[in-house]
Amino acid sequence: MSRRAAALAWACGAAAVAALPLLVKNAFLLHVVILILMWTVLGAAWNVLGGFAGQVSFGHAALFGIGAYTTIILFLKAGVAPWWGIPLGGMAAALGSVPIGLICFRLRGPYFSLATLAVAELAKLVALNWESVTNGPVGFLITDLPQLRLLGHAVDWEAKTPFYALAALLMGFALFATARLRQSRLGAYLVAIRENEDAAEAIGVDTVRAKVLTLALSGFLAGLGGGFYACYFRYVDPDAVLNIGLSMEMVFIPMVGGLGTVCGPLVGAVFLTTVGEAVRERFQVGHLIFYGLFMMIVIRFLPEGIWGRAALALRGRRKEAKGVGAA
Amino acid sequence: METFVQSLVSGLLMGSLYAMIGIGLTVIFGVMRIINLAHGEMVMLGMFAAFFSQKLFGIDPFLSVLALAPAMFAVGVLIYRFLLRKVIPGGELNTLLYTAGMSLLVANLALFAWSGDYRTITLSYGLAPLRPLGIAVPVALAIGFGMAAAVTTALWLFLGATDTGRAIRATSQNREAAILMGIDVEKVAVLTFGLGTALAGTAGVLLAPSLYLYPTVGELLIVKSFVIVVLGGLGSVPGAIAGGLLLGLVESLGAVYVSATYKDGLGYVLFLLVLLYRPAGLFGVGKS
Amino acid sequence: MALLEVHGLTRFFGGLRAVGNLSFEVAEGEILGLIGPNGAGKTTVFNLVTGFVRPSQGEVRLSGRSVVGLRPNAVARRGIARTFQIVKPFPGLSARENVTLAAFLRHPARRDAEHAADEVLGRLGLSHRASTLASQLTLMDQKRLEMAKALATDPRVLLLDEPMGGLNPSEVDVAVGMVERIRRGGVTVILVEHVMKAIMRISDRVVVLHHGEKIAEGAPAVVVRDPQVVAAYFGRRAA
Repeated sequence: MSRRAAALAWACGAAAVAALPLLVKNAFLLHVVILILMWTVLGAAWNVLGGFAGQVSFGHAALFGIGAYTTIILFLKAGVAPWWGIPLGGMAAALGSVPIGLICFRLRGPYFSLATLAVAELAKLVALNWESVTNGPVGFLITDLPQLRLLGHAVDWEAKTPFYALAALLMGFALFATARLRQSRLGAYLVAIRENEDAAEAIGVDTVRAKVLTLALSGFLAGLGGGFYACYFRYVDPDAVLNIGLSMEMVFIPMVGGLGTVCGPLVGAVFLTTVGEAVRERFQVGHLIFYGLFMMIVIRFLPEGIWGRAALALRGRRKEAKGVGAA
Repeated sequence: METFVQSLVSGLLMGSLYAMIGIGLTVIFGVMRIINLAHGEMVMLGMFAAFFSQKLFGIDPFLSVLALAPAMFAVGVLIYRFLLRKVIPGGELNTLLYTAGMSLLVANLALFAWSGDYRTITLSYGLAPLRPLGIAVPVALAIGFGMAAAVTTALWLFLGATDTGRAIRATSQNREAAILMGIDVEKVAVLTFGLGTALAGTAGVLLAPSLYLYPTVGELLIVKSFVIVVLGGLGSVPGAIAGGLLLGLVESLGAVYVSATYKDGLGYVLFLLVLLYRPAGLFGVGKS
Repeated sequence: MALLEVHGLTRFFGGLRAVGNLSFEVAEGEILGLIGPNGAGKTTVFNLVTGFVRPSQGEVRLSGRSVVGLRPNAVARRGIARTFQIVKPFPGLSARENVTLAAFLRHPARRDAEHAADEVLGRLGLSHRASTLASQLTLMDQKRLEMAKALATDPRVLLLDEPMGGLNPSEVDVAVGMVERIRRGGVTVILVEHVMKAIMRISDRVVVLHHGEKIAEGAPAVVVRDPQVVAAYFGRRAA
């Protein structure tokens, strides 16, 4: 894609995102769109590590949870407004990811995955037992909605639009960060690590540094998503923000959309969230049946994911071979 | 002292069943390099099969296990033949994610079909525990232990003394060499997956009278199984036996001497430490 | 002063000594052949020098500076590049992208790196395969790619692990030519090789390993007649 075409695509995307709340007046539909945006951020968070660097984490709920707890605790105990609290939540998760990375990246392949799973379970135990900070199993609920003012306007907590705007901003940031990463040397190095870690070291790639940096970026994005979740649902407890299912959903979204692509997480989130919400009406936990099924179908028949396959079809295979990954 | 001996005994009884689950996971890993994330769901299926056999047909779990073990073997063979085999060439991470999807699918289908209610199996006998030497031994666990010991011994003999068993061990030790020796590794893989699934399912049937049954119990059990096989060394059958017994002991002693919450935390910390510093397992027999 | 000095290099695996008290030097611009029967520890020496395996004892210096204890990427940064006996390309990427990744080490900007990569591809006769996926190259071209990746990191010393293994005689001739051209380009070469004819032709000096120890060193024509070397290769009786 040429530079001009890329700029055009970004502009069209931004215009569509800006126009959407004017067209969608139904509160439930807008809620679904907000969920899609949030899941795109979370899918993008997992994708930079899992899709680009090939490091399959089963513990991203821990990073999401750190973000959610940081944002809600700052808000309830120190009165920090969400628009500061969410980025701080992202930063807390990025910081928390560094020791996790230094421990888990000593392991490779499936062993890394198992270690992240254990770390996430440990994080959940900490949240359950460190009552003075986390309120234990009870968690936090934002009950009284304080008067907050942004740019001279009172924030309307009940309206969906402010949350839509916030989520759109976060999603834009996540996709932009992924696009930049893909063009950078670090992004290329991550692909080298995914393809063959020993060979990457041999050509001078500091694989540990590259992976830890990427996990920090991934943690930052996951923490942003967690902070947003806390504000939007006004509720955080260990079961809600630190469960294995959440880690798995973060894996599935970029998998279904297209691993190691910029738009894959968006496509995956649109697909999975729409299906999930549609069936949630009928059977309560039914959406997870479909998530599992899609996962199996995608790996078997569409390993590039929906967007990955579409991108391949658009450009033709020969041209594809020249670049690292798809768009 | 009495509490200590008591927890020791119940830990070992429970551990024998954990060991069976762990052996199933570890033989599959050894032969196919697959970490089967849906292994916990196979245990869950065994539990529910035992429940419905009793409820619908009035068959005692310790009797129905004779039919359910081969049935679970067939389930494993079918899963391997029609699902897993096609994705294995895609690499071990793809396979891992595939089994993650399968785990989610099976657990939530079960949740949809059977609801999330907690169920129990009540036996008509053994309401009071046996009391040899003053130690309380629940009858169901004691029978389960006996059967688990028998199955494990049989497996041991099968792996050690039959041609098929030796082919499985050879493939586990060195796949390329096994191919060169003329072993049909594809057949070995089907057999092993069936065997591993049968072990998980059998353990489920034997556990059913002693645990609560619910569709997402697999999530808890799969994490436990990882701890077991990593402690014992991935791919090692004796390691899984030792790891299972060890985990049973840690849990029952931990519940008495450490708080119940921190006991689980210790399990994970131990798990991470072993992964990092003794990747071949505590006994150094697994493959790293 | 020698460019690369190896002194007292030793490595145990469990109780087994894979490399024992090995010392040798390589002068700038030299081609050194490292030979020995199967299992003599040649690849282990490469792993020790490039940081993939940590020595139990001993010293490795490049221009007098120790590289022991550095991770492989840091060793590559210092200027020691290597190839692998079993080639390790980035299979899902094109040949050009493979080499570009390596060129990133000295050229942080993508355009510069791609430029450097094209130059190296040309030097090794791979330009016409630039957009082919690495996994779809022939063995000969994969060996070329392996060398191209190592060269693109702009090394001072290049360690080649059996670059001619599995090639047919005419391909071996081509590979010999490539190694000589690499040396003329100012890169010092250490070569592990089983193809004896080739190593005798291009090495200035050879070091012979047996059971991880050096049993002979010198000009190729002299070393092949060394009774100890003959015994190591063909058994005592032949000597």
